[in-house]
Amino acid sequence: MSAHPLRLRVNGRPVELADVPVTERLLDTLRGRLDLKGTKEGCRTGGCGACTVLVDGRSTLSCLTLAQEAAEAEITTIEGVGSDAEGHRVQAAFEAVGAVQCGYCTPGFVMALTGLLKERGAAAPFGEFLEELGGNLCRCTGYGAIVRAAAALRAEAASR
Amino acid sequence: MTIRPDLAEKIAGRVRYATDLEVPGMLWGALVPAPVAHGRLRTVDLGPARARPGVVAISATELAALVGGRQGDRDRPAFPRERVEYLHQPVAAVAAPSLAEARAAAKAVRVEVEPLPVVSDVDAVFPDWPGSSAAQHPSVAAHVHARRGDVEEAFRTAETVVRETYRTASVHQVALEPHACLAEVEGERWRVRTSTQSPFGVREDVASILGIPEESIVVEGTWVGGGFGGKGASFVEPWALLLARAAGRPVRLALTYRQEFLLGRTTLPAVVRMETAVSAGAIRARRVRLLLDVGTSLPGRDFATGYSIGFLLGPYRTPTFEVEGYAVRTNKPPFGPHRAPFAPQCAFVVESHLEEVARRVGIEPAAFKAAHLWETGGTTPFGQPITDFGLAAAHAAARELADDWRRAAPPGHGVGLGMGFWSTSTGAGGEARVTVSADGIRILQGEREIGSGSVLVGLAAVAERRTGLSRHRIRVEYGDTASAPYDAGVFGSRTVGALGRAVDDALVQILGTLAQRAGAPTPVRLAEGERGVELEGRGQRWPIADLLTDEERAQGGLTAHGKHYGRGGKIDESLVVDGTFYAYTDFTGAAHVAEVAVDAQTGSVRVVRYAAFQDVGTVVDPPTARAQVEGGIVMGLGTALTEEAIWSAEGRLLNAGLVDYRLPTISEAPPIEVTFVEGHPGAGPFGAKGLGEPPIIPVPAAIASAVRAAVGAHVTELPLNPERIARALKREEP
Repeated sequence: MSAHPLRLRVNGRPVELADVPVTERLLDTLRGRLDLKGTKEGCRTGGCGACTVLVDGRSTLSCLTLAQEAAEAEITTIEGVGSDAEGHRVQAAFEAVGAVQCGYCTPGFVMALTGLLKERGAAAPFGEFLEELGGNLCRCTGYGAIVRAAAALRAEAASR
Repeated sequence: MTIRPDLAEKIAGRVRYATDLEVPGMLWGALVPAPVAHGRLRTVDLGPARARPGVVAISATELAALVGGRQGDRDRPAFPRERVEYLHQPVAAVAAPSLAEARAAAKAVRVEVEPLPVVSDVDAVFPDWPGSSAAQHPSVAAHVHARRGDVEEAFRTAETVVRETYRTASVHQVALEPHACLAEVEGERWRVRTSTQSPFGVREDVASILGIPEESIVVEGTWVGGGFGGKGASFVEPWALLLARAAGRPVRLALTYRQEFLLGRTTLPAVVRMETAVSAGAIRARRVRLLLDVGTSLPGRDFATGYSIGFLLGPYRTPTFEVEGYAVRTNKPPFGPHRAPFAPQCAFVVESHLEEVARRVGIEPAAFKAAHLWETGGTTPFGQPITDFGLAAAHAAARELADDWRRAAPPGHGVGLGMGFWSTSTGAGGEARVTVSADGIRILQGEREIGSGSVLVGLAAVAERRTGLSRHRIRVEYGDTASAPYDAGVFGSRTVGALGRAVDDALVQILGTLAQRAGAPTPVRLAEGERGVELEGRGQRWPIADLLTDEERAQGGLTAHGKHYGRGGKIDESLVVDGTFYAYTDFTGAAHVAEVAVDAQTGSVRVVRYAAFQDVGTVVDPPTARAQVEGGIVMGLGTALTEEAIWSAEGRLLNAGLVDYRLPTISEAPPIEVTFVEGHPGAGPFGAKGLGEPPIIPVPAAIASAVRAAVGAHVTELPLNPERIARALKREEP
């Protein structure tokens, strides 16, 4: 299996890795090599959204992304999203409404919502907006509190 | 706003779950699956795996040596010796320096199995059931039978008899975090850190499976990424401990998400035959027959059958009845509990059936049900007295709302009502060590927070309510099974109801002692003052610091050990013909209203809005309580509409992943109105009743009733997927 050097930026810091196999998933690079364990490993098949990170600002499933695909890109994980204005607002909204139970889906949801707000802002109709979050599963909350957090964020974005 | 001490850490991604644990020198484990669902084990050749560098491999042959010649429970050995009984059943395990090497080593193990015929489902066992069933059949693992009164006479002479058959599917807990643990063995000290709903339950299981004494085992719970019943018993721990023992190094073992599905612990499928005899608008007799597919389960099979079958009679007065249930062994993995095990399925069956009965005799279904509903002070069909029960009040409120929604519903929409009852496991015991000092209250206990908030929020809320001290002065602490007092675990909606009673017991002791020392007039409370926490009684205050002995101050405060071991009820044993039936402990219930829109062409269902009326006794923390109800309902929508594990005739699970096994998503979750019906106290502190499980119970029933109201489809199978709705519509066509 061929391995290559990999350069990327993670949470604002440059990262250089010597040999990263072409088959290695970004999820495993982040969790295994960089010890960024806040990104959760769920189904590894793109079915749960727990591993969502931002790649150049776009919400991305790190389990279905090869690390080498992210070469030279800016990666933001849950550990770094608080320094992003949008990400900070999302975290604050989750805290304000208590949109967390077991917490396993939470980092993925925070990242997906941050990416979506960056991409769509308050422009899309709320139903469509929520459909975009359909790839992130939560088994605990019934989504009620997450929807309340999303609604508050959209209202805030619209008033800015 | 609620104070949830884990909120900020979880939002920042700083919480470490069992899947995140790594220690120096650790090996990674992997399991070796059986290649067929049933067969004689001919060869498990570990040689090719052991030939790889750094690999440790074990199978049944090594078991005795690894546990010092002891013998574990023969009914559930860690690895099979002679026969494999379900596809992917672990027949060996390996550990290696990396996960990739472990997986490769697992593949290298040579497994040969001589295939035997596969029993894939209950229909294969009893093809013309209920005519053909027999308790002596080799596939029958448990049989229960009970009756009251002259059932045959009642059916013979009734004005109307309704007979129907229902089927319910297997559903998976789908906690997003897979089962994972980290095991370390040093000498005779077996230690495991694991994601579990019950550290003490895991200790007991590991002792039984491996045959080692409980005193040698220490189980430490980690953060849990969702349980829902799936993490109630041990799963990966015995394998990880055996590997750690063999390797002499720590071993981390986690299931892959595919294994989560393949190795099961799901609720297994059932077939139910319902018969009801009615005269003059009243139920005269009922007959319930149950075929429950229990897979390869041995522990729990009697309980599953004897406990579930009572829920099929529903919360309804039934003067004359016969119930008979069979637990049927098939070549599927062992089943496991899933939030209110089998109760949502039972409620779907009994609610849909009685709606059909009411329609046939020309009575409005809700009125027919209300006329038969259990009431406080009455008795169950099994002769158990019914404790304070708020279901009638919940149902009355739900009926009123359903009428409002019906009047407003556009064409294509339907409004349905579903009910269910539950018995929370407040009988299972728990203890807590509580310390009061000038700094506040510390609660040391043996559960872990699994997400619901019952431990971190619920126990603190109980302490706040007892003492009056603000919650930021109350800390709930964890311990492992060596340091924390015993508790049965987070299951059966029992944390606040049972462990909360232990916490309350300890606080009452402490307040009593402090009041005596101060000479304070009772009742006393705790409050914050200039010198930290103070005792308060009739306006007078005494700093806690002044009421402690030197020894207590040195030990961090005044400590008391609280206990709660509840008592279950009793059934009338003279009704039992065969098997074991179980009494309920604390009655609770809920009535739900659903509005759905059904596409009559495709059979697809959209849940437009939803309302729940929950009998809770007393709400101890409103935001957490509401969150439990919302979560339970959306999980129930999965059971109602999409979730179904499907096995082939060869015993192969066909949808082992989140793409083919469909969970509700955020855009499918309806707006939910939650109303708590208080004033019917339960056995918990301040009259609280458990709330973890009850909200899921009425959901499939309410959805089925709403679908029927919308398009006239009477669906008798779960889940109500488009195919089944379309088929039912075809049947209803003239």
